[in-house]
Amino acid sequence: MVKKKRKLSIDKRNNKAGYLFLLPLIVIFIGLLGYSFYFLITNSFRDVTITFRRSEFTGLLNYKTIFADKSFWRSLLNTFILSFANIFCGLTFGFIISIILNFKIKGKRFFHALFFIPSMLPIALMATVFGSMLEYKNGIVNQLLRGVGLGQLAQRWLADPRLAMWAVCSVSIFMIGIPIMYYTADLTTISRSIMEAATIDGAGMKDQIMLIIFPVLKNTHKTIILSMLLGGFREMERVFLMTDGGPGGSTEIVGTYIYRATRSAGSNIGLVCAAAVIILIVAFVISFIQLKMTAKNGQV
Amino acid sequence: MKKRKEKELEQDLFSISKANRRVMVGFLIIMLALWCIPIYSLLKDSLKVHGIENYWYVLTNQVNGVPFYQYFINSIINAVCASALLVLICSFAGFAFSKIEFAGRKLIYNFVLMCLAISGPILIIPLFYIFKTAHLYNTHMAIILSECLITIPFGVLMMKNFFDGLPMELMESANVDGASIQRCFFNIYLPLAKPAIINLAVLQIMWSFQDFLFPLMFLTKDSAYTTTVAVNAFKGAYGMTPQNLGRYNAALVLISIPSILIFVFAQKFIVNGITSGAVKE
Repeated sequence: MVKKKRKLSIDKRNNKAGYLFLLPLIVIFIGLLGYSFYFLITNSFRDVTITFRRSEFTGLLNYKTIFADKSFWRSLLNTFILSFANIFCGLTFGFIISIILNFKIKGKRFFHALFFIPSMLPIALMATVFGSMLEYKNGIVNQLLRGVGLGQLAQRWLADPRLAMWAVCSVSIFMIGIPIMYYTADLTTISRSIMEAATIDGAGMKDQIMLIIFPVLKNTHKTIILSMLLGGFREMERVFLMTDGGPGGSTEIVGTYIYRATRSAGSNIGLVCAAAVIILIVAFVISFIQLKMTAKNGQV
Repeated sequence: MKKRKEKELEQDLFSISKANRRVMVGFLIIMLALWCIPIYSLLKDSLKVHGIENYWYVLTNQVNGVPFYQYFINSIINAVCASALLVLICSFAGFAFSKIEFAGRKLIYNFVLMCLAISGPILIIPLFYIFKTAHLYNTHMAIILSECLITIPFGVLMMKNFFDGLPMELMESANVDGASIQRCFFNIYLPLAKPAIINLAVLQIMWSFQDFLFPLMFLTKDSAYTTTVAVNAFKGAYGMTPQNLGRYNAALVLISIPSILIFVFAQKFIVNGITSGAVKE
């Protein structure tokens, strides 16, 4: 009885301390995030302007409009395309480079820094530089092509609707810093004895990499894929500064879609809220899968 | 020095032939060449027409009535404040989730983790409304709060991962001595968590310097602009004559300097921070 009472008092003390430590988090979460969710959900059912002069309940109309809006689906698709470009570059270039840099090579530290830096720079800056690089007349890409006599390959990279998305995605090659960090950290956990055994069995470099290291780093791949999938929803400045969603909405991603919809004069904010709610649900599903997958790993 | 070299030699995962090593170095050199293209393009454009004068012009002249260094000061204020606020919130919360057993811990923690999915674009409208009503629009506070908010889930995850690695016994022995949980935290765990706190603080500073969307959305006054949105403002202010294009690119080079400096001096913290903040079991 006495023991139980004591345990209860400890529980009570823990509860009090626990919530005391969480207080700053809870305050900022309820004040900003909780209210934001409330704002998004309630206004997604209304016809509202940003100044709130006009505000009327319209039920599911906003959702119907969004579901019928081709450019919204386009932007969602493009967001995934951009994420896949990031994932692809991370899993190929990032993976190969981190393996190479795991060997004793001169200037290793320099190369590490070199590959990290683009991921540390403001993306706004990168996007601006790449925008001018891909420019038709004076851009360095076309100048290089003309210089080596391939002038007919020079393209309006950012103005051609068929090429613009590819051009935007090509920047992903430079964004491999974070995958390299994850791989480099996890490569150190691979046991040397496995590799030695494989060498004795006569495995070549290709086999060592493709049949042993790549499968062993399964969880690292997962971490990279999921974090980059979510990262796609955070992208905005790359498209905004390179093509501004154009030409003809062919490179629109959710970030620029929402920004544009918010900024266009007299627009219905309720509609944007509905779009944001849908995007939020999609992102939550990805996040949920991530949690489930890591929970499973923990049990094994 | 020799010791480090030996250590690096040990780090080879498996032995490779000379030919394969050459292939690897060749690959690195190709990537290096690829990396040089944007750097060359930017530097060349920044020296257009007036050469190095462009930099001087950008540094000494005002754009839209605001001296160039003002953007740096704004960025630094935002970054440092956001970083301090984030560290405060996340070290408390990470400790609570890791070491205190209270009712609803798992539930709240999972909710915070789910919030990793929240992205800036989704929040711009509600935050815009909140800041407008709270008269925080066009202030540093709006940027600080929103940048902090968006990194909190990551920060909590990272700090919890770190505190999970510290032994529970420290707390138990202190409990026996009659110290309160608060004292345990401030006297024992917080000093031990210094490396993780530095990692998190550096990461937030870096991310704050990268942030574009929130300043673009919540700032309309030139004097409050951060370096990243200044890029956008310059485009309009300088126009597209070759002479101004040179100045514009010189401004871009100058803007990249703080991020590069942060990285060069804090590479270790950034790498540690990002890799320890991964969602792990």
